[in-house]
Amino acid sequence: MSGAAGDGATATVSVRVPPAEAFDVFTREIDLWWRQGPRFRIAGRRPGQISFEPGVGGRLFETVELAGGPHAFVVGTILAWDPPDGLAFEWRGVNFKEGESTRVDVTFRATGDSTLVTVRHSGFAGLRPGHPVRHGLEGAAFSRWIGLWWGELLTGLREHVAAS
Amino acid sequence: MSLDATFAALSDPTRRAVVDLLRRAPRRAGELAEALSMSPPAMSRHLRVLRECGLVEEERPDDDGRARLLRLRQEPFDELRRWVDEVERFWSGQLAAFKAHAERRALGKRR
Repeated sequence: MSGAAGDGATATVSVRVPPAEAFDVFTREIDLWWRQGPRFRIAGRRPGQISFEPGVGGRLFETVELAGGPHAFVVGTILAWDPPDGLAFEWRGVNFKEGESTRVDVTFRATGDSTLVTVRHSGFAGLRPGHPVRHGLEGAAFSRWIGLWWGELLTGLREHVAAS
Repeated sequence: MSLDATFAALSDPTRRAVVDLLRRAPRRAGELAEALSMSPPAMSRHLRVLRECGLVEEERPDDDGRARLLRLRQEPFDELRRWVDEVERFWSGQLAAFKAHAERRALGKRR
């Protein structure tokens, strides 16, 4: 918990694999573990895939099969890539303006035969005043924003309600 | 007072340091300036921002009328906490899904 800084949120989990494996699974297999559904993916229930392009300057993006063909939604650029210790990437919502971004840092630390994975999401203070992310976002509405994957924009209200 | 103002006030490292100091005990403006090696006018500007967004309030000590003590107000922190909790719930859920996948996969490899 890092609310003391006023500008970030932290979550941790202990995983029973070594750090190098945790790093690989986190990045290469993100599509296999990232939660499914319109609250977490732009694709909703359509075919789609979320991927990291390895290395600094690579991107985190989601591809979605739309009627006109595949479309890529870029979440952000990778800012640090240091296997097996950690990585950092930008996190931009589809409602962010040019130049607006938040930052996610992920670290992998060996603890016995497990790895402590810590995610810190920060930089909210840099968003413009009145940014929708800061207003009355709770529950499903919040998940839609933070998951970026814009429920009503692409999947429609009906699908969203069905999933909630 | 709004979450916007709280975020804006806390985006500054000096003001976060002030909040950290006041979290331990109420202090006077002069003590804060000294603790952070700042001029009193510079500290005064930061304190004005913190007062205006409701993070900090002044209290007058009972015994005398000397410089007022400054202390934190709880309400903006509660609001901030609720918001941060939402972000943390989102990532905790994702990490739980990550853990389930990574451990299932490791188990499969050993078999």
